[in-house]
Amino acid sequence: MQKSKVEPVDPLREHVYDGIQEYDNRLPNWWLWTFYGAIIFTVAYWFYYHQAGMDQPNEVILARAKAEVTARAASLSKGPLTDDQLWSLSLDPATVAAGRLTFVSTCASCHGDNLEGKIGPNLTDQRWIHGGNPAQIVQTVTTGVAAKGMPAWGPLLGAKRVNEVVAFVLSYHKKGEPMVIDPTATATGKP
Amino acid sequence: MTTTLTPAKVRIEFNDAVVRAFMLAAIVWGAVGMLAGVLVASQLAFHAMNFDTSWFTFGRLRPLHTNAAIFAFVGNMMFAGIYHSSQRLLKQRLPSDFLAWVHFWGWQLIIVAAAITLPMGLTRSKEYAELIWPINALVVVIWVIFAVNFFWTIARRNEPTLYVALWFYIATIITVAMLYIVNHLQIPTSWTHSYPIFGGAQDALVQWWYGHNAVAFFLTTPILGIMYYYMPKAAERPVYSYRLSIVHFWSLVFIYIWAGPHHLLNTALPSWLQSLGMVFSLMLWAPSWGGMLNGLLTLRGAWDKLRTDPVLKFFAAGVTFYGMSTFEGPLMAIKSVNALSHYTDWTIGHVHAGTLGWNGFMAAGMFYWLAPRLWKTQLYSVRMADIHFWTGMVGILLYIASMWVSGISQGLMLNAVSPDGVLVYPNFVEVVTSAHAMMVTRMIGGALYLAGWVLMIYNLTRTIWGTQAVNGVIEVAAPEHETPSLSFAATFFNAPVLYSAALVVFSCIWMFGGSVGFLIALPGLILTVITALVHFETSGSTWGQWYERLLASWVPFAVLTFIAVALGGAIQIIPTLTLERTTAIDGIHQKLYTPLELYGRDLYIREGCYLCHSQMIRPFVSESMRYGDPSKLGESMYDYPFQWGSKRTGPDLARVGVKYDDLWHYRHMLNPRSTSPGSIMPNYPWLFTQNSDYSVLPNRIHVQQMLGVPFPKQTPEEIVAAARKQAEEISTSLQGKGVQAIPDREIIALIAYLKQLGQFEKVAPTKK
Repeated sequence: MQKSKVEPVDPLREHVYDGIQEYDNRLPNWWLWTFYGAIIFTVAYWFYYHQAGMDQPNEVILARAKAEVTARAASLSKGPLTDDQLWSLSLDPATVAAGRLTFVSTCASCHGDNLEGKIGPNLTDQRWIHGGNPAQIVQTVTTGVAAKGMPAWGPLLGAKRVNEVVAFVLSYHKKGEPMVIDPTATATGKP
Repeated sequence: MTTTLTPAKVRIEFNDAVVRAFMLAAIVWGAVGMLAGVLVASQLAFHAMNFDTSWFTFGRLRPLHTNAAIFAFVGNMMFAGIYHSSQRLLKQRLPSDFLAWVHFWGWQLIIVAAAITLPMGLTRSKEYAELIWPINALVVVIWVIFAVNFFWTIARRNEPTLYVALWFYIATIITVAMLYIVNHLQIPTSWTHSYPIFGGAQDALVQWWYGHNAVAFFLTTPILGIMYYYMPKAAERPVYSYRLSIVHFWSLVFIYIWAGPHHLLNTALPSWLQSLGMVFSLMLWAPSWGGMLNGLLTLRGAWDKLRTDPVLKFFAAGVTFYGMSTFEGPLMAIKSVNALSHYTDWTIGHVHAGTLGWNGFMAAGMFYWLAPRLWKTQLYSVRMADIHFWTGMVGILLYIASMWVSGISQGLMLNAVSPDGVLVYPNFVEVVTSAHAMMVTRMIGGALYLAGWVLMIYNLTRTIWGTQAVNGVIEVAAPEHETPSLSFAATFFNAPVLYSAALVVFSCIWMFGGSVGFLIALPGLILTVITALVHFETSGSTWGQWYERLLASWVPFAVLTFIAVALGGAIQIIPTLTLERTTAIDGIHQKLYTPLELYGRDLYIREGCYLCHSQMIRPFVSESMRYGDPSKLGESMYDYPFQWGSKRTGPDLARVGVKYDDLWHYRHMLNPRSTSPGSIMPNYPWLFTQNSDYSVLPNRIHVQQMLGVPFPKQTPEEIVAAARKQAEEISTSLQGKGVQAIPDREIIALIAYLKQLGQFEKVAPTKK
């Protein structure tokens, strides 16, 4: 299988290390230019961000990005819904079904699969800790109650899904039913 | 000295016994490390595989897997390759058999100690630096013994100059010692526990300076040296280019060190450090590929042998994987790519392309080459080695492809914000469950790779069974005259070193000198580059002659190497250490931990929570919606060690304290699926039966005070009493919610810590 020498022109170095020889080929040009390119990019990058002052604090970048998202969202939103609108949503099967999906994945772990209450309170009875009007429920879901371990879901779910989930909760209730506001009610429901 | 007679030939028998021992150890520990890998992969695919057993959970076994793969497997493989090739390249036997065996048995002792302590939850929580301090001390001693034996061989060599493989070995030994010692500076609080002397952002920077360069100088440079010896040997072809080896060696060792901060992109780390981490990673691309080129192009004229020789097959594939992952690495270090890839499985796939593809295949090639020679026999089955190759190859491809899919999906899903301004996937667990199929695929890929390894064990066992171990022998003539070592002046005052020094100095003036610095540095840099280029055109050959003389002088060579690797770390770390620690960095002070919270924090570390949960919110819209405001430096200033994390198998916890109440945490730790359906987090039932031992607290708080954390002066009794009191309060609160929680149980301390996460005080920022 002895093959003839492939590149007899390659310069071989004199010294042999334990039988290992070394050519002294030139560095490939594309390799050199990759290296030079990265170095030039480094100089330019540093100049742009740390000399020309284009490096902005995280807060500024984030605030700008947030403003863009908010502006786009505002152009799509139609403002908060009224109690009546929410009650009528609670009669719309498609909205309630969508709300149920969100409830099961987001709320059921604390409020129970059947809203009977576990870590969080029962949502089927007429006793409310933070108000039982539809708009009040939307408010509680959106901003949360940090002291009692209810997270603020507004930023995570968005207005549409919050409305759907509230409609789903309202589907367990009737418009005009009696309501007790009881801020001292225990957070843990007793099913 | 007038004799001119031909010197008498001396017969030298190499110490190949220790090479065989290291090789067999590497093979066995390799199997153990890979088995642990398949096991933890199965835990991510099926959480029941944690078996509700403390020492068997992911958080404790994952460090076992990484430490076994890096230090037990690659470590032993590296020692085998270095001892075998160095003796031959230096034409000298290891000077001390005793030191060689102390090295061997000491290293195995370290591995066994790690395998016992890590599952017990004894950890420092710094990745690849988890082992507790008594083992750290042993590692340093054994490494020094290795270095002494190695440099002693060089000092007594019968070969005038140093071959390129030895350059890489020298860089490895020096740099690993430097990295290991600095990242393991710590103050013990007991025989099994300590706090690192760095905290918060400083600890993060030091840790990733170490972590990144453990990859560089433990998993890369020694294997490059091994490649330079065994590749031309196996191919029976000359190395492609000597001058390429010079350029890529020096650029690699100098640049690698700077790239550590790319593990901390988009975090609260000061932005100049992040920029350095990114651009040095990009500059690292070509030097890394220089190694790949010199490996692959050495095969010119020998490609036909790839069909028949399994050794070359493994080497060629290994070097190709090296090229692939050293291209992927710089790509992922680009800040905007990193925004997607960081904290995801993509990183996991990336490192496994390196470890399975590069380290594992180079190791297999080396073992297949060494075994017949160290036992003077033939490989038992070439066919079986072929099957090993293809099984391993399919395994790697399944592994990295599944991690690309899951990693990129995770990045896209977690960052997705819908047009109406909300998260598209608000539940983290949706992202977790969507990756299940990829977790299973990864597990299968890893299992295939392990199966290939087992085939190799069988093949090599049959190869060496019943044969006689033989040691290599050479006859050398003592060198006719000593090549004079380079003087101090000749080492430093010569064109290549002076130009390099000028470039570094001007760059530093630019980095730290503001506008004035820029005005000095820019002309300086341009002038230096032009002068150097012109000078090289006219008298480059004298540079080459100087380098040849340097290769005959190992002490100056080692000193220059040390300077090259020390610079990057020094320039990044020293300015960061001067950051005002006790005054406000960014208007925010972390709230001091109470004794109970500190105890809970140490439990968080013990259970390895940081392996799946970060505590560092990046400044993205998606993250601020999901987790809260971006993390600031001051928020982790009292964290010894830092807990920023590197992976989000679960959500970030930097502000989880304000999100859920104690009852939620209580239920979640008992069974995560009761509060988060679909979660793959293990259950932690032992936290509900084991008692806290507050008696360790006074000593721990005392050590933290020594480190500069302003805990109030308290007697040991007051500290323990404070912990008890807070535990009572939490327990009472839980009982009010209908749970019989006993105050002394560990879960109470952990809840105290988790509830505290995200608490800080606003203070007036210090003017700089």
